[in-house]
Amino acid sequence: MAAPPDRRAASETPAAIAATMLLAALAAFAVAGLLFIPYGTDPLSAYAFLFAEAFGSLRGFGFTLVQATPLILIAQGTVLAWRAGLGYVGFEGCFVLGAAAAAWLALGGTPDGFPYALPPALFFPAVLALSFAAGAVWAGMIGVLRVRFRGNEVLTSLMANYVAAFIVQYLVSGPMRQPGSLPQTPRLPRDTWLPYLIPEARTHAGILIALVASGLVAVLLRATPTGYEIIASGINARAARYGGIPVARRQMLAILLAGGLAALAGLGAVLGVQHRLMDGLAGGAGFVGIVVALLARLDPLAVVPAAILYGGLEVGGAAMQRDTGVPSAVVFILESLVVLFILGSGLLRGWRLPLPWSGRWRATSRKAAE
Amino acid sequence: MLNQAFFVTWLAASVGLAGPVLLAAQGEIFAERAGVLNIGLEGTILLGALGSYLAAVATGSTPLGFVAGGVTGLAVGAVLALFYVGAQASQVVVGIVFNILAAGVASYVYDLAAGTSAPTIGLLRPVHLPVLSALPVLGPVLFRHPLPLYLTLLIVVLAQVVLFRTRFGLALIAVGEHPRAAHAAGISVARMRVIGVLLSGLGGGLAGAYLVTAQIGLYRDNIVSGEGFIALAIVIFGRWSPLRSLLAALVFGGADALQLSLQLFNDRVPAQVLLCLPYILTILAVSGLLGGRAQPAALMLPYRKE
Repeated sequence: MAAPPDRRAASETPAAIAATMLLAALAAFAVAGLLFIPYGTDPLSAYAFLFAEAFGSLRGFGFTLVQATPLILIAQGTVLAWRAGLGYVGFEGCFVLGAAAAAWLALGGTPDGFPYALPPALFFPAVLALSFAAGAVWAGMIGVLRVRFRGNEVLTSLMANYVAAFIVQYLVSGPMRQPGSLPQTPRLPRDTWLPYLIPEARTHAGILIALVASGLVAVLLRATPTGYEIIASGINARAARYGGIPVARRQMLAILLAGGLAALAGLGAVLGVQHRLMDGLAGGAGFVGIVVALLARLDPLAVVPAAILYGGLEVGGAAMQRDTGVPSAVVFILESLVVLFILGSGLLRGWRLPLPWSGRWRATSRKAAE
Repeated sequence: MLNQAFFVTWLAASVGLAGPVLLAAQGEIFAERAGVLNIGLEGTILLGALGSYLAAVATGSTPLGFVAGGVTGLAVGAVLALFYVGAQASQVVVGIVFNILAAGVASYVYDLAAGTSAPTIGLLRPVHLPVLSALPVLGPVLFRHPLPLYLTLLIVVLAQVVLFRTRFGLALIAVGEHPRAAHAAGISVARMRVIGVLLSGLGGGLAGAYLVTAQIGLYRDNIVSGEGFIALAIVIFGRWSPLRSLLAALVFGGADALQLSLQLFNDRVPAQVLLCLPYILTILAVSGLLGGRAQPAALMLPYRKE
């Protein structure tokens, strides 16, 4: 086996990071572009079509924003939890429970409705709080197991996703079921729908919730002592504790907020898109949101453009499948390749090429001469 | 209702449902014992299922399809090892991103290769083992299954022996518990981990092939719905031991089979309560609530040589 090549500390200058990320993204687009060829579409015009569909018109951009909304919220949750040093991956569970809580309140509880009606002015604050709380409690349980009992949060949160899915499956096939055939709730009353911002694309106000949340997460992490302590806990818990930071509390705060944000993604799906609760509502958004956060390098401000890019890819991919028959799966391949290549590019940055003017080249050539 | 016939049918169904995930869990045990959590197992099973289906259609031979699933899994394992071990990337990140990639690749390749014409393949028939299948209770429960189940049971025993009774197995465990010490003792951490990931790929690919060739007989994009995560759960619930994972798989399969048959009798017990239970038990197993950390100490920690 050959000796591993010399390495130096990965060069973490912003320019080096930006350049390698760009290269990785280009490489991913190039590889995924090859997938269009068997369908008789040339990659460049395919990408042009895809981006035109997603960003070329107000209507297309509206669809893109609808897709981006849950991705932004879940990615911000990922940023909070992962920055705090928790490998929480239970966003699918928070999503569906947040959706269930929102639907429950919107239907006036079940089966026969509340004995009193919530005043309309109170409904939206109440439903936001309830949905957020549902996700926060769900993620918080995993947080307690991790922080208090040193449970493995990756595994527990993965398994908790299934428990949450079964809870919702039970609700829509039992107590909250619309009498009739499909396991789903009745349609929510119109007053409880999120208002449309771009009516022709059915872009609902959830995007505003996502943008406000993004601003708050950015301020929290960048401009408050609490945010600093969250990040410090994630970088080195032992050092943070030694420095007087209540690590367990900061991690709990981060995971509670993360779960709550993911639940709001579910709220948007129910009150903004489907207008009813059904099984399988998250549809993988809980994992794609994590990928978005990774693409944004866990930076809350970079999350927004990253999520809009991925939302746009999904809109463009669906349009392409309708028009040309190229399967929209190409988009999932592209989305994951971008991140995988960026992961690989970190390795690239750490390896110094033996160029003639570098010390390493002289060292290797000396070795070769011996 | 709880007479012997019901009991036997239920147990036989449990064993049948447990088969594929148990097979996937065997490889995953080796990966995790070496310190690599392969969350990408779900995607591996999916690609194995696709590979075995396409090969079975192309060759007209279901057994060849089964083998092709394993080959696909090995190839997937090699790619995963590149990231887990070669790039030393975060295992959680790689696994999650890989599952999305695999779903995309499988859907794309299936569309390209099969398109609209997607024939079903001949299922592997149950093989009644001579003498044994005539035993009361045990016969129908254990000895009237398709060949992949017997293969799985054989692999469980083999895995148990290799893991705990051979130099290789003990070296693998050492790498997962204390990679630095293992390295100092002359064991190649990277090689052990690559082998672990390859075995996880092989097991996952064969599990996908098992689903296709012995249970379903065709391929759909949603053919694998959580089997990879159930296999991860079985590894945990079985506390990283092949024999105990057999029991864990039976708990999952048993709950699944029971809810299927209870649905026939009444709907007062929600099926979801039964389906949830194994997951809750699994959460408890790694929650830290039950004392000592059972997982390999270096699980999920990339290893860099000093």
